[in-house]
Amino acid sequence: MEGGFLGFLEKNSIYIVLFIVLVIWSGIFLFLLNTDKRLKAIEKELKEK
Amino acid sequence: MCFVIVTGISFPIVLHPTSWREFPIIPGLEEKAKIIFFHVPTAWLSVVAFLMAMVYGIKYLRNKNLDDDARSSAALQLGMMFSILATITGSIWAKFNWGTFWNWDPRETSIFILLLIYGSLFALRSAIDNEDKRARLSAVYSIIAFLTVPFFIFIMPRIMLGLHPGSLEIDPTTNKVVQGTNPVVDFKMNGSMRLVFFVSLFAFTILYYWMWSVRSKAIIIKENLSKK
Repeated sequence: MEGGFLGFLEKNSIYIVLFIVLVIWSGIFLFLLNTDKRLKAIEKELKEK
Repeated sequence: MCFVIVTGISFPIVLHPTSWREFPIIPGLEEKAKIIFFHVPTAWLSVVAFLMAMVYGIKYLRNKNLDDDARSSAALQLGMMFSILATITGSIWAKFNWGTFWNWDPRETSIFILLLIYGSLFALRSAIDNEDKRARLSAVYSIIAFLTVPFFIFIMPRIMLGLHPGSLEIDPTTNKVVQGTNPVVDFKMNGSMRLVFFVSLFAFTILYYWMWSVRSKAIIIKENLSKK
């Protein structure tokens, strides 16, 4: 169909699954990182008080 | 009950050690069928999260407790994240099965409208400084917004022609609108695939619950600190 990276994915579709799993885990990771940032701000505020 | 579940699952595996990972070949999907174990839970969790946002919205309206608003807000954030993930993973899958990343299939259109509806709720929340007013408006909005969810997720994509599993299609032989002729559109899972699917759904739901509880606690503590 298409050459290059997309063509490779077309032939080895398990890598598409892998890519999609990576997208989901990075989304969850970013959300947790954001929560961690909020908790760090709370910790800092508590220490200052 | 546990005994029945454990023996029901383990005995077939002992008898046929490889059968649990043998999935039927679905013409047109092949290995890509495994995406369903990750793509569907994200869509499922966005519905669960929006439902929880509505439930805590109702709770807030009854008790006027700001903690319930924090819980509703955490659920909204998670719901938004999971619907964005469902859209991204769906559009990557669409590129390889339907040809383009985005082709305004009824399912894609409905999730796009849902993202707009819930996206505007975040704009509404950030525009109001008064906590009580924000919580009240957000609770009412999340209740009204959830009323559209069953229509956009469960009804609209099933009553229109489309490529997503569950959609109606045109039978090429009779030229009539039918359901369930194309193996990609009418998706059937076998026993072992269904087992993996439901385990994945369950595990993702537990992960969601944990993320929601940490997030809502963080919001509640932050609000209590800023009040002092």
